[in-house]
Amino acid sequence: MSLIIDSVAKRFARFPALNGVSLNAPQGAFVALVGPSGSGKTTLLRILGGLEEADSGSVRFADLNWLSMPARERKAGFVFQQYALFKHMTVADNIAFGLRVRPRRERPSRGEIRDRVQELLRLVQLEEFGGRYPSQLSGGQRQRVALARALAIEPRMLLLDEPFGALDAKVRKELRVWLRHIHDKAGVTSIFVTHDQEEAFAVADLVAVMNAGRIEQYGAPADVRRDPKTKFVAEFLSA
Amino acid sequence: MSAFGLALTPMKLRQRRVLPGFGLSLGFTVFYLTVIVLIPLMALVIRPFALGFGGFWTEISTPRVLASLRLSFGMAALAAVIDSFFGLIIAWVLVRYRFAGKGLLDALIDLPFALPTAVAGIALSTLYAPNGWIGAILIAHGIRIAYTPWGVLVAMTFIGLPFTVRTLQPVMSEQSQDVEEVAATLGATRLQTIFRVVVPMLLPTLLTGTAMAFARGAGEYGSIIFLAGNLPMVSEIAPLLIITKLEEYDYAGAAAIGVVMLAAAFVMLLALNALQAWAARRR
Amino acid sequence: MSGKFQNPTQDPLLLRIFLSLVAIGFVALFLVLPLLIVFKEALADGLGKAFAAIIEPDALSAVKLSLLAAGIAVPLNTVFGISAAWAVAKHDFSGKTILVTLIDLPFSVSPVVSGLIYVLVFGLQGWFGSYLLDHDIHILFALPGIVLATIFVTFPFVARELIPLMVDQGRDEEEAAISLGASGFSTFCRVTLPNIKWGLLYAVLLCNARALGEFGAVSVVSGHIRGQTNTMPLHVELLYNNYDYVGAFAVAALLALLALLTLVFKTILEWRYADELAAMHRH
Repeated sequence: MSLIIDSVAKRFARFPALNGVSLNAPQGAFVALVGPSGSGKTTLLRILGGLEEADSGSVRFADLNWLSMPARERKAGFVFQQYALFKHMTVADNIAFGLRVRPRRERPSRGEIRDRVQELLRLVQLEEFGGRYPSQLSGGQRQRVALARALAIEPRMLLLDEPFGALDAKVRKELRVWLRHIHDKAGVTSIFVTHDQEEAFAVADLVAVMNAGRIEQYGAPADVRRDPKTKFVAEFLSA
Repeated sequence: MSAFGLALTPMKLRQRRVLPGFGLSLGFTVFYLTVIVLIPLMALVIRPFALGFGGFWTEISTPRVLASLRLSFGMAALAAVIDSFFGLIIAWVLVRYRFAGKGLLDALIDLPFALPTAVAGIALSTLYAPNGWIGAILIAHGIRIAYTPWGVLVAMTFIGLPFTVRTLQPVMSEQSQDVEEVAATLGATRLQTIFRVVVPMLLPTLLTGTAMAFARGAGEYGSIIFLAGNLPMVSEIAPLLIITKLEEYDYAGAAAIGVVMLAAAFVMLLALNALQAWAARRR
Repeated sequence: MSGKFQNPTQDPLLLRIFLSLVAIGFVALFLVLPLLIVFKEALADGLGKAFAAIIEPDALSAVKLSLLAAGIAVPLNTVFGISAAWAVAKHDFSGKTILVTLIDLPFSVSPVVSGLIYVLVFGLQGWFGSYLLDHDIHILFALPGIVLATIFVTFPFVARELIPLMVDQGRDEEEAAISLGASGFSTFCRVTLPNIKWGLLYAVLLCNARALGEFGAVSVVSGHIRGQTNTMPLHVELLYNNYDYVGAFAVAALLALLALLTLVFKTILEWRYADELAAMHRH
């Protein structure tokens, strides 16, 4: 049930975004991809989510040939920096979306959907907000809705692209502790992209420091901090 | 958008006017607006009430006037719906697809704006006449367009199309695609994404374009009269009836219809403002 | 692997083809065919006949009248548009929203109603009717009426294109110029005008096209005197109703060529100055 990323490469028109990235993570791990902008971390995340096509390489997850599946079948809950909430739907409808679009055979009943939405609203501490629209929420609340929406489909994997990037420092700190708590409760494998190394090291089990389309170093936060393997990692950590 | 608005707020509080020419430009603007638009419109609004409200009602409630109003507004609504359906598809194709000749297709959309309505009128009339290119095909199937109310619909559809396409296009191209990506990761098929996410998000804009096409169609005259046959009670539009009444020196009767059309235009303007406010709230 | 990947923001190939064909088909049927038929009918009896219909004296006088009316209406509305945009975009005052809505009003008024209001002001039974008659001043059924109606229907063009453009550009540059000691007039000429020149040209182009092609409003006030008060579109109507189809379509083709020329210029402007014009389409 572990995640095995093997030599994934991606080239955009002008520059290589990923130069053969390999990474293994056990089931239920919380992995942070950290690095400066343009290091390829978001590209890797989007490839895992099925939003971008890899030029070469393979990914195995839960014994599935992951890259051959379309985004819609991967059950990878994706959370965007700018929330990407459906602005024309209430919070509850946003959360229920992933359940309502299932084929009729797999779709839970209306009552089951309602219960599941309530449960998720409680989980993200927005019980009173189900009937509101996204425009009526604060940034931190919106990101919690986005997370609840991703969790509603019982994802195999959670992919978070700078989820707190648009929030102020205080809210960021609260939310990351809370995110870790949710991750542990849900028991999914989470990949978390951030440019903020402090955030990455505080929340993740494993940290991959990326630079120019490569993973410079990958390991437990304490190990990486104690023993930076490259000049880049050392400099990045001291920044 | 809201950050931009916040940044502007302090400027509003500034007391001193930095840039010159305020009095002159605003004065001229208001003067010109009053002379060209407001005073003549006032002449229209006052006119039918010279007869009192009862007189106004008598003018409006004749079967011929009611039929013409029903035709103008009814067909304009239908044409606006057709335009919004095809306008949505055309705008989507123009914004999201790439193919040879797209630039030409894009430029052609404005044709009904640029082409004089009389030219459009005689062209449509020739096309849809029973011996015309399209008319001949339709008549073979028992469908008659020219000189029937359906001619009104065809002309209004022609005239309204650019409104829906040009309203949708900029909003579509600025709409971030991450909601579509998120829908896919949540398990939606492409069609579910289009019908449950993309189209509903465009709804305020789509309605705005529809309202504009409707307003234009309801008031349209030039492109219709050549095609519609102008039969009283059947294919006579309200603007034509105004002209007919003017030619009979029935100024009060003409003004009464004009007031109804002006009132409808006002209602549409209010509706458009409300739609815009709705769209802005969603951002 | 590459063949299998489904881009979640791209429609499936079949849907792309289907929607593209719908869009192209609708535009071809509703927009391109009417344009083609104009030229086909104009040249039905050969180029010579079409040309003769255009240089015939009544047609020429219609061309002259149209050019004259547009030649007066467009510059006036341009001055108004610049003035209104300067007041609205560069200054703060209360009632701005109402002013902008009122400027837009002529767009939502039916062209026939636009003509009607001037009849009600200047016509025999109108406000100034008897005064004008006593002093032998001709406004209706003469050039002034035609110009007024043309001004009314093209009233908002320049203002509504320039206002969003100038709001978007802000006030910093003008304020800097003033602080450096420039006069208001030279600030406008050296700072504002260079920034809006392409948008202004764009707006004038559209305003001009509409002024030359206006039919409904002018039809009400012109009196339809052949060779005297007939503009080009009115001349088209007259010839068409007299069953002179080649003549009608020849003049119509001339108008259609002008429309196409406008579209070409407009498209060139949009391609070359896309960034500068973007603000105008974002309102």
